Amino acid sequence: MSYRRLKNWFDERYDFEEIRSLTKQKVVPVHKYGILYYTGGLTLFLFILQFITGMVLAFYYVPYHEQAHKSIIEIVTKLNMGWFFRSLHHWGAQIAILALFIHVFGTLLVKAYRKPREIIWVTGFILLVISIFFGLSGYFLLWDERAFAAVRVATGGAGNLPLIGGFIKSFLRGGIDVTGETLTRFYAFHVCVLPLFTIFFIGLHGLLVQYHGMSVPISLEKDIKKYEPFFPNVLYKDFIIWLIALGLVVTISVLFPPEIGKKADPLAAPPENIKPEWYFLFLFQTLKLFPGDIMGLNGEMIAIILISLGILFFLLIPFLDRKSSRGEKSTLFTWIGILYTAYFIIMTIIGFLT
Amino acid sequence: MFTAKIFNKWIRYIIFSLPLLFFNTIILWADEKIEVFPSTPYDKFIIYQVLIIFWLGIIGLIVILKMKLKEIERIQSMGIDKEEKDIPFLD
Repeated sequence: MSYRRLKNWFDERYDFEEIRSLTKQKVVPVHKYGILYYTGGLTLFLFILQFITGMVLAFYYVPYHEQAHKSIIEIVTKLNMGWFFRSLHHWGAQIAILALFIHVFGTLLVKAYRKPREIIWVTGFILLVISIFFGLSGYFLLWDERAFAAVRVATGGAGNLPLIGGFIKSFLRGGIDVTGETLTRFYAFHVCVLPLFTIFFIGLHGLLVQYHGMSVPISLEKDIKKYEPFFPNVLYKDFIIWLIALGLVVTISVLFPPEIGKKADPLAAPPENIKPEWYFLFLFQTLKLFPGDIMGLNGEMIAIILISLGILFFLLIPFLDRKSSRGEKSTLFTWIGILYTAYFIIMTIIGFLT
Repeated sequence: MFTAKIFNKWIRYIIFSLPLLFFNTIILWADEKIEVFPSTPYDKFIIYQVLIIFWLGIIGLIVILKMKLKEIERIQSMGIDKEEKDIPFLD
């Protein structure tokens, strides 16, 4: 069957002309911050890579606490190219979350969240939370000392929230403490629950971006003179960036395969000088700023409440930044965006160095 | 006296070498480091060779995409990619 006959077969049954005309209409403005338009697509590509490598690993990983650690050792030592897929999944996750943070902070600083794109920001925030939980749940599946201690701290911290903390803690842990039940639960989150939510929210997020079109920074709105078609110009540029990212992830995975830590022992004390993954370091450092007791109240609880309020404010920025919604320059929220970005970077570096 | 001196010398050697023996054998109880990368020189060679070929492939694809992009931009700048609305059709 020739290409022409195949094309005609589909054309007789489906009207592709409308899709073709829609794709030709999509244009992307050209300006000095245009590089930020590629961060979302890059994040999507890296998450697709995670889905693929994760599916491959799921064929061999055993989500039961007695055998989880051993199954990882078997994947790495006995399976052909097992070490590579595990390394690719590990480094893919790190770089995907890095790309995600660049995308989030880039969007915040150019105020792409402003009217009419508030819901895009909200769906993006939900995707950020899902991705962080992807990282935590995936990390725990190693069932090593470090991951065990990290999950104990993270779920314990969530348990300090007033009113709902106890419920969240027992829901995440599957009980009072972190046990084999927690592993099974986190596996269900990681391979079932979170992927379903991710697909839904990415679909909604992408659909809304197509509906509203590409945002332009307020200061450049009147200066845009050139637009380039998304198909095929911007798409080809997207492919180039994805190829470079793929090359980098593969190279890092080959040169720096991650070690396998000691198997977790629920009865043992946590290892000394333990630190969480880099994307939790800013939270970890923030907790360390607060003393154990503040005027008779639990210092950790106060810290978690303040952090939660900071995160809630972050979510509500599009609804609070009224000036940007009217298309006016908003210096206050520019500084708020810079403060959030700088705080994240500085606290992450401090956490890494201490 | 001479025998006592030799005996003392050997006792000292034994006493000082015991900790060394102890520390050398204690390593046997340490956790084995799990190899996360193929250890044979042949496997390493193949892996690095494939990595180089992979990068050549990536660079080749990027070059092709850049060439296609340049051609598309050239056509778009001439304006011949836009369809004319009133173009007559041959019956």
